[in-house]
Formats: sequence, C-alpha cells, structure tokens
Amino acid sequence: MDEEYDVIVLGTGLTECILSGIMSVNGKKVLHMDRNPYYGGESSSITPLEELYKRFNLQDSPPESMGRGRDWNVDLIPKFLMANGQLVKMLLYTEVTRYLDFKVVEGSFVYKGGKIYKVPSTETEALASNLMGMFEKRRFRKFLVFVANFDENDPKTFEGVDPKATTMRDVYKKFDLGQDVIDFTGHALALYRTDDYLDVPCLETINRIKLYSESLARYGKSPYLYPLYGLGELPQGFARLSAIYGGTYMLNKPVEEIVMEGGKVVGVKSEGEVARCKQLICDPSYISDRVRKVGQVIRVICILSHPIKNTNDANSCQIIIPQNQVNRNSDIYVCMISYAHNVAAQGKYIAIVSTTVETSEPETEIEPALELLEPIDQKFVAISDLYEPTDDGTESQVFASRSYDATTHFETTCNDIKDIYKRMTGTDFDFENMKRKQNDVFGEDEQ
Amino acid sequence: MTNESPEEESRAPGGGAGVGMGAARRGRADDNVTILTSSMDFPRASRSRADSANDAAPSFTSSVELSSSSLETSIQTRIFKIIVIGDSNVGKTCLTFRFTGGSFPDKTEATIGVDFREKAVEIEGETIKVQVWDTAGQERFRKSMVEHYYRNVHAVVFVYDVTNMASYRNLQTWIEECNGHRVSASVPRVLVGNKCDLVDQIQVPSNMALKFADAHNMLLFETSAKDPKESQNVDSIFMSLACRLKAQKSLLYRDVEREEGKVRLSQETETKSSCPC
Repeated sequence: MDEEYDVIVLGTGLTECILSGIMSVNGKKVLHMDRNPYYGGESSSITPLEELYKRFNLQDSPPESMGRGRDWNVDLIPKFLMANGQLVKMLLYTEVTRYLDFKVVEGSFVYKGGKIYKVPSTETEALASNLMGMFEKRRFRKFLVFVANFDENDPKTFEGVDPKATTMRDVYKKFDLGQDVIDFTGHALALYRTDDYLDVPCLETINRIKLYSESLARYGKSPYLYPLYGLGELPQGFARLSAIYGGTYMLNKPVEEIVMEGGKVVGVKSEGEVARCKQLICDPSYISDRVRKVGQVIRVICILSHPIKNTNDANSCQIIIPQNQVNRNSDIYVCMISYAHNVAAQGKYIAIVSTTVETSEPETEIEPALELLEPIDQKFVAISDLYEPTDDGTESQVFASRSYDATTHFETTCNDIKDIYKRMTGTDFDFENMKRKQNDVFGEDEQ
Repeated sequence: MTNESPEEESRAPGGGAGVGMGAARRGRADDNVTILTSSMDFPRASRSRADSANDAAPSFTSSVELSSSSLETSIQTRIFKIIVIGDSNVGKTCLTFRFTGGSFPDKTEATIGVDFREKAVEIEGETIKVQVWDTAGQERFRKSMVEHYYRNVHAVVFVYDVTNMASYRNLQTWIEECNGHRVSASVPRVLVGNKCDLVDQIQVPSNMALKFADAHNMLLFETSAKDPKESQNVDSIFMSLACRLKAQKSLLYRDVEREEGKVRLSQETETKSSCPC
C-alpha cells in the first residue's frame, strides 16, 4: 500500500474496471480499491437475494417462494449489450470473453396505444407487423435500405441528404414517414430517449440505426446480449484482466482522503496509510466535490413468476415505451431477464423498469410499465442521482466517471471510457490499445 | 512464490497443435450461436488479429466468425476447469507451472501475467484438457478474489505452505470463501501442502494436515514444486483429479450441451498435444 503507483482507481464499477484493465495492459502500475467488500459498485449484481432485501431496507426476508437466495444475481442498473456495439468490441479485444458466457435477448418490443408489439427484426416480420399500414411499410422499407447503404465517406450514398446539415426531421419527411413510424424508428431503433434528436443533423441517428440493424444481424431475434450470472460479471472480468497485468486489488478498503498538492492529486489515504499516485480514476461517489448532479433516474426492480404478457413467453426481452405514447419527454424502458440467465431462481423473472425522472412523483411516472408486468411478486424502488464531473482532470489529474444513465445499453458508458482515456493520456482512444500485450495462457507446447 | 524456480523440464512433444479455427463448438438447436475469432493457440491468434485490425473496424468484425447452428458432430475435447487457491506465497503458480511442464519464469514476486495454464491429458483413451486457473494475485488482499473465478469450476486445489503455519490456518477461510461462492459440494477438492523439500523448516505436521483433509473430505498431497524428486506428486494431484472428473458422467462438454441459446464471443485456445502419461 505504501508505494507509488502510476494510477489509483477507486470503485470497481464497469467504467473503472475497464480503464484499470487498459492501464495495466499498457504497463501502468495500478492500485485498484473499493470501499465495498464486493466488485462492481453500482454495476454489480446483488447476491444472495437476502442482500437485495437488506439493501432496500425491506423488513422481511425473502419468502420461501423465492427459492434459494444464492440463485439470484440481481442487477441494480438494467442494461443490455449491443451485439455489434463498443462494449462487445472491448470484450473481444481484451479477450475478457474468456470469462463470460452470453445469451441473446429474445425479443424487443415497443408500446403503442396500450399494447406491445414486437419490433420487427426481419423484413418478413416488418411486412407482417401490425405497427404500420401497408403503404407505410413500403416507405419504411425504402428508408431502411437507404440507411443500410449509407456510408458517411461516400457521398454517392447520401441521396441528397447532407449528413452534417440535414436534420432527421427532414430525412423522415423525405421518406414520407408518419408519426408512428417516426416514433418507432427514433426510440426503438435509434434508441433515443427524447425527441431532441429530430432537429439536429441526421448522421448520428443514421449511425445509431445502423448499429441497431448490424447488431440485430448478428444473431437475429434482437440486437441485445446479456451475460450469464448478471452484468456484475463484466467489471469482474476486466478486473481480472487488470490483475493479470499486475494491477493490485483491495476490496473492503475505506478511502479517507484524496490527497492533493498544489491542485494536483498525489495520493489516496486509506486506513492511515497514503498510497501515492500520478493519476486518479474514480466513480462520482468517491469525489463529491468534483461532480455535479445532472438529473435523476428511477429504477424499479420487479420480481415476477411469469413471463411478460404478449411476448411469446420470452425469457428475456426489452420493452420500450416511447415518450409520446405516455405524454412524457423521455422513454420508459423495461428490461427483463430470468432464471435462464442464472440470475433468478427457477421459474422467476426479473423485470427492471427505468426512466429519467421528470416529476416529483417518479413512481407515478412509471405506472404504464408496471401495468404491463402485473402481477408483481416484489418491487424494489431506487431513485438515483446522476452525476458528471465538473473537472476534466487536466490540472488535477483526477478523472471522475459519469453515473450510469437511463440508456439500456453500454454505448454511453463506452464513450465515457474513451473520453477519460483521451484526457488521461492525451491520445485518442484506439481499441488496439486494449489488446493483451503478452501471452498469458500457457500450455505445455509453448515457450 | 519465493525462490522456487524448478529447473527446465523437458517439454512434452509439441505434437500437432489442434486448431480450433472457429469450429463450431456446439451442436444443438438453431438458437445456439457461436462467435469465435479465428483462433488457435494464443500467440498465433494474436498475430492474426493484429493483422486484421490494421485496417480498422470492418475487418475486425470479419475476423470474428459467426458460426451459427453448425452441427459439428466430431467429438469435442472436454475441458476441466481447476482452480488453485490459498494464501499468497504458498507456491500456487509454481505448482501449476510444474504440472504443465513450462519453464518457470525468473520472477520471484507475486503472480503477474498468468491467466490459466492448460494441458491435454489422456485418460482411458479420452483426451481431456485440464485448465488450471491462476488467482492472478487477487488473493493477496483477503476477499479480493473475483466471484466469477469460482464459476463453472470442476475441481478445487487448496494449497498451503508446510513451512508456514498461518497459510495452513487460513485454509478454513479459503474453504468458507469457496463454499460462499456456490461451488457445489460435489466438486472434488484436494489439499496440497507445498514446499515439503524444506524439511528443517516444516511447521505443519503431516498428521495434522491429514486430519484436516479427512474432516473436509479431501485428499492430501505433500509436494515440492521445486524439487524434481517430489514434483511427480504434482502430476498425480492433477491426474487424480482428472480421473475423478472423467468418471463423473454428468460432467458436460464445455460449450456443448449447456443451456440453449448461449452465445459465445470467444477466442478459444486450442492447444492439444499428445500426452506422455
């Protein structure tokens, strides 16, 4: 502990663990601490179930009907991985895939007029879907072909659209798409939470739709993946990577003080000792004076004994409730997983409802989602503040991560990682930087 | 991992490295999907990836093979995951190095740079790949092991240092930690007292360790990963486990026959070789 490190990392959330892994792989001497006795911080999966009851201050312990407590691994923050997204790329480059198993999420659904519809995943499904009328379908298909062919480096594919100037609203107009299709495209495919995207240049939206369809093309069914045993496996995998490359791990380690000298971080004080460092990475909870609150998210974990109605008994799915449908500014999401992912006892399902808080009564805001889930065996409500750093770290060399937002995938988390990397090293992030630098699997044939 | 550096051992003949080349590893229903990077043994695989990555993202994607629902019927090598746990400095890494016959690196510090070691062994005509996982040094500070180290484990090796009473006393905590992480009681466990070549420094009497092992339904081995005379015991530890595991009919082929719908984003290491045992 009483040593000098290149980087000290506080908190073992996914962002911190990935950065820790990258730093260690690149030869930095890393000390990684967490005040909790478990890995993952906010991005851990809580086990056993008794622990979850305690965490939410429920008076009773879980009833017998919940099965063995140890069979549960309950995420606090619901997210899926986009099959073709940045996190999957990070997992492949770092080979953290060695430690994890994934399943494809079985379906993606969208809410319209009180009912849920499957988000069409193939052309055939699109043509059969009740989401759109016949003419609309033809126009929508044309739009999808345009997006699929679109290449930002090849103006021939633009069809008169200027990716950096034409707004998405105008692109929709160009293809003569109606309000329902626009809602569905922007929220269920491009995965925007609000309608703010309509009036900005369309490039970002087109790329998001491409990400969706390329992810979908990987496995069919849905563009999402989920790791067996819960999302908490992800930070652990990257922590192991960091440890293999020399990172030192200390859990259950209280942090008393971040020691600064002349406006720059020089170390961290824990249990009376000071570990010295040149740079510090931490989640917002370790450094409340360098972050600001930017909003709130409500997340309601619901335990069910049945699959969600009208999902073909899917053992995993996502439901998006577009804001327009329920007179809100931001979408409501439902992520459901089950015993099939080793996160719940046999026959049990976990559905997590989440959205950005817009009123003083957040629980009322998510009622349309809860109605889809009834009957609910047990509910756990969490309202969390979202923080972002006020300090970009240039002077202080303190790099705080952002809180996990209400999006249901890890793309924004990966953007934060890339951004912190750039601020720490002064160079653009490149996935190549994450590759393991030496052989760390040995067999008798080698060396 | 103090100053034990076993001298070079003649290596097993590097017979035909079996190439996994994105071969489908399961043959089940169509919702079983496998992504494999074109993979074989690690150094080659990393080279091939470096090549493809030079021309940026799209070709990276192309280096990832998606082999969906291929009904590969050829017999798959069963892989046994064995984890080694115990205090720092008891010689865990050394033990696994000795087993897989690699040369021991000059580092005398705590473990850096080992994910797992693997060795193909032949038992009653079946080639089984024994994968011995390293703690990656996360045991140095108690309770800092990642939980998923304990996932899908087929056998556990508890190690203590016969010259260090504290490392023996801590076994109880390691056993509790192991149980706490849902390692099923049916998973075979063995107890290994390491460094028995240091005869004049022995603090943990064999009969005491034997009683402890009996009480926990474990076999006890005393070895020295350093001393070549004693090191054959190292082989027998892992071989006895492999034999016990093979006998468990319920043991599944890794990746095959597991739950439906599992996707694997993996780079498989496939280093098969003829085994002299």
